Amino acid sequence: MSRDSKFDLDIVVLYCRQCVADEFAPPSSVSGAGFVARFVMIPCSSKVEASYVLKILAEGADGVEVVACPDKKCQFLVGNIRAEKRIGYARNLLEEIKMGAERLGMTKGEGLSETQLTDIAEKRAGQIKPLGPNPMKGENR
Amino acid sequence: MIIAEWKPIPEMVDKLRGHKKVLLVGCATCVAECAAGGQREVETLAPLLRMAMQVEDNPIEIHTKTLERQCEWEFVEELADTIGEVDAVLSIACGIGVQAIAERFPEIPVYPGVNTTSLAIREAPGLWTARCAACGDCILGETFGLCPVARCAKGLLNGPCGGTRKDGKCEVDENTDCVWYLIIKRAEERGELEKLAKIRKAKDWSNSDHGGPKRMIREDLQP
Repeated sequence: MSRDSKFDLDIVVLYCRQCVADEFAPPSSVSGAGFVARFVMIPCSSKVEASYVLKILAEGADGVEVVACPDKKCQFLVGNIRAEKRIGYARNLLEEIKMGAERLGMTKGEGLSETQLTDIAEKRAGQIKPLGPNPMKGENR
Repeated sequence: MIIAEWKPIPEMVDKLRGHKKVLLVGCATCVAECAAGGQREVETLAPLLRMAMQVEDNPIEIHTKTLERQCEWEFVEELADTIGEVDAVLSIACGIGVQAIAERFPEIPVYPGVNTTSLAIREAPGLWTARCAACGDCILGETFGLCPVARCAKGLLNGPCGGTRKDGKCEVDENTDCVWYLIIKRAEERGELEKLAKIRKAKDWSNSDHGGPKRMIREDLQP
């Protein structure tokens, strides 16, 4: 990481494989203005447990965005609904410890392109910016 | 199963302040079933506490372990190898598990991460309701398998109070069934309503908490 990008917000995007365009070939990461998005494919948003996203944040990511299929479009019928509840639960925990619920979010979409996923990450970064970098980042302490 | 709930995170953080290495211990039995203290909850709480401590500039190292049963000495013994590496233990097992660790390793502070609340059943996903109060003198045989000690807000033993709602719910909580409504309904369905009119001996409370700490002895099992 270059010195100039030292304070770029590190956003991890966990996206359901069903909600991206068929031809989507994910890069491991994309840099934007003030943020770096790292894309991780998951088989279904329902695979995301509260512990996973909390661990990602505890390891230093500034934010996590879970991208799920739209309502009634989940291949597992209710996977996105379950994910939404877990994300809500984890957001409450983050608020309780004063890390900021904004560090975690969820978006629903289908046929998403790399640009759209990057836009989602940028939106998350915008909400996190007022909070500053994750206190777990050793380099920012 | 024994039911427990996480204590508020700030309360846990308050106890951990001043410690540098903490062992977070779960239990894979009752508290795992009620989603408070199993492996999954250990994995959720560990990063959460690390972040909570970091936010207030008290970085902490958290080791984790989930025992099969924290209330059995054989399993508690599994901590012997690692307990010397930490300066405190946070247990998210029931109060029995917390005390077992504290008794086996008296040299180290052991803090509870949960409040143990009741003996309950998983009524539906994400909903646990009390079923037993461990009162020491079970009367389920006379109340059609429904416990008024644990499930009546007033602990009434001889029938409903006047506060049962028209839909059969308790006046204390609109989401809780009036257990006496359920008892009478079940008695009616069995055609045995008259059994509830039978005069019973006063319940013996001496084997409950009122009789002091309990001990159960089976000499045939003792060494």
